[in-house]
Amino acid sequence: MQLTILDRIDRPAEDVVALILRGAHGPLAPWEPGAHVDLALPNWLTRQYSLCGDPRDRERYRIAVRHERLSRGGSDYVHRYLREGRTLEVSLPRNTFRLVPAPSYLFLAGGIGITAIVPMLRAAAGAGVPCSLVYAGRTYASMPFAGELRAAYGDRVTIVATGHDGRPDLAALAAGLAPETVVYCCGPASLLADCEAVFPAERLHVERFRPQPRTFGPDTAFDVACARSGRTVPVPADESLLDALNHAGLPVPAGCREGVCGSCEVTVLEGEPEHRDDVGAAPGRMYACVSRSRSPRLVLDL
Amino acid sequence: MTRQNAPVAERRPRRVSMEQVRERLGEPDAMIKSKIQDHIGEHTRRFIAHSPFLTMATADASGRADCSPRGDYPGFVKVLDEHLLAIPDRPGNRIADSFRNLAENDGIGLLFFVPGSRETLRVNGRAYATDEPDVLARMQTEARTPELAIAVDVEEVYFHCGRALIRSRLWDPAGQALAGELPTLGEMAVAQFGLDVDPRLLEARLEEGYRKLY
Ligand code: FES
Repeated sequence: MQLTILDRIDRPAEDVVALILRGAHGPLAPWEPGAHVDLALPNWLTRQYSLCGDPRDRERYRIAVRHERLSRGGSDYVHRYLREGRTLEVSLPRNTFRLVPAPSYLFLAGGIGITAIVPMLRAAAGAGVPCSLVYAGRTYASMPFAGELRAAYGDRVTIVATGHDGRPDLAALAAGLAPETVVYCCGPASLLADCEAVFPAERLHVERFRPQPRTFGPDTAFDVACARSGRTVPVPADESLLDALNHAGLPVPAGCREGVCGSCEVTVLEGEPEHRDDVGAAPGRMYACVSRSRSPRLVLDL
Repeated sequence: MTRQNAPVAERRPRRVSMEQVRERLGEPDAMIKSKIQDHIGEHTRRFIAHSPFLTMATADASGRADCSPRGDYPGFVKVLDEHLLAIPDRPGNRIADSFRNLAENDGIGLLFFVPGSRETLRVNGRAYATDEPDVLARMQTEARTPELAIAVDVEEVYFHCGRALIRSRLWDPAGQALAGELPTLGEMAVAQFGLDVDPRLLEARLEEGYRKLY
């Protein structure tokens, strides 16, 4: 965890605040475009937000938060109760949405999903790589950073206010896509689904804030052997691996508990995990909040 | 046989009428009366957003009263609007006392605490059980959504002065030594139900249960 001071609260759009967090003890940990942090709120809740400032600025992080209509206590707290000057703990940056080198990029952002894309666009444009952004939102006033992006990148940025212009024509974008262009998309589930329908999977990178609705086979019980502590923990069918480990006194950090943020990653030494996350676990890793096991036993590096 | 701790008077404490009570206490001053509001204002909203604990008083149609604790992360009680609150029903002992009372008698009295704050917040009103999906969705925590919530139509809202908490030293960490003077839950259960088990075993089981909170 890193201690920061909430320097400033901006209002870049309707129902959106941007928080400028300054390192309380000098420079903050470095990060790359696509990274997010866990923000520990005074009401004991932890939420994940993409870093949307400039990675070259080691003094401060910027995040932006939309006030969710059905807030579970995170965005509502940020909007109503956070005050400038307060200290806040943020995690080290984590990146599950890396910008891979490519000859050109198409960025697609929906609503608050723009936060992950802003630093990507800056990095690509700064490196002289051809790139463009299609940024969709309900109304212009509800879209953070729209003006700032247009001012900085001109014609490379297309703003689509769906309430007025209708939804962006993804099929046309896909048809005109140069063969080497890599597509990055961050936004609501509907936009991600539309992108998945039209863009080639091997060139499409997406980041979700909410899990993809999917169905899995029935939850079954399994055992986890923890190699370092020498303990074996049974995971009953009605409990997650994360909860079972935590209840057994083997704390594993957690953020979203929905398989989207990556904070509950554990290393698998043996056995066959059943991956149910939306992060995309690397080989030998799994996300304990949602994933289970195909084999009766898993060995974890815990 | 004489009891060691016999009360000073071997009879019921005498009763005084409301008139006599008023005589002793005097009339409440207008300032106090005027602090009672009929809605959730900005300060009360902030207080509720930082409160992880409250006590909830209800009574059945015959007046049989009951008071129960509710607790979760700060702000677990949702302010839906200036006149409406919602309290999640988390897994507890499955005794639906409060729900049963509210079904017969919708009066409710809430007392909110914020750790470290000497003042407490009192909210009185009328309540009912709800399973409104939009309300429950806002109460999801650790990936679990409660089955039910209690919706409270707010009638009276006011801050209660801090004297009781100051006198009780409720937030003084040194006060926590008091708990060490109590029997453990295991010991109490063994005695009450006349069980023939090691209280520590029971204790371990209860602790186990406490790890699973949602
Ligand atoms: S807690 Fe976010 S992926 Fe598991």
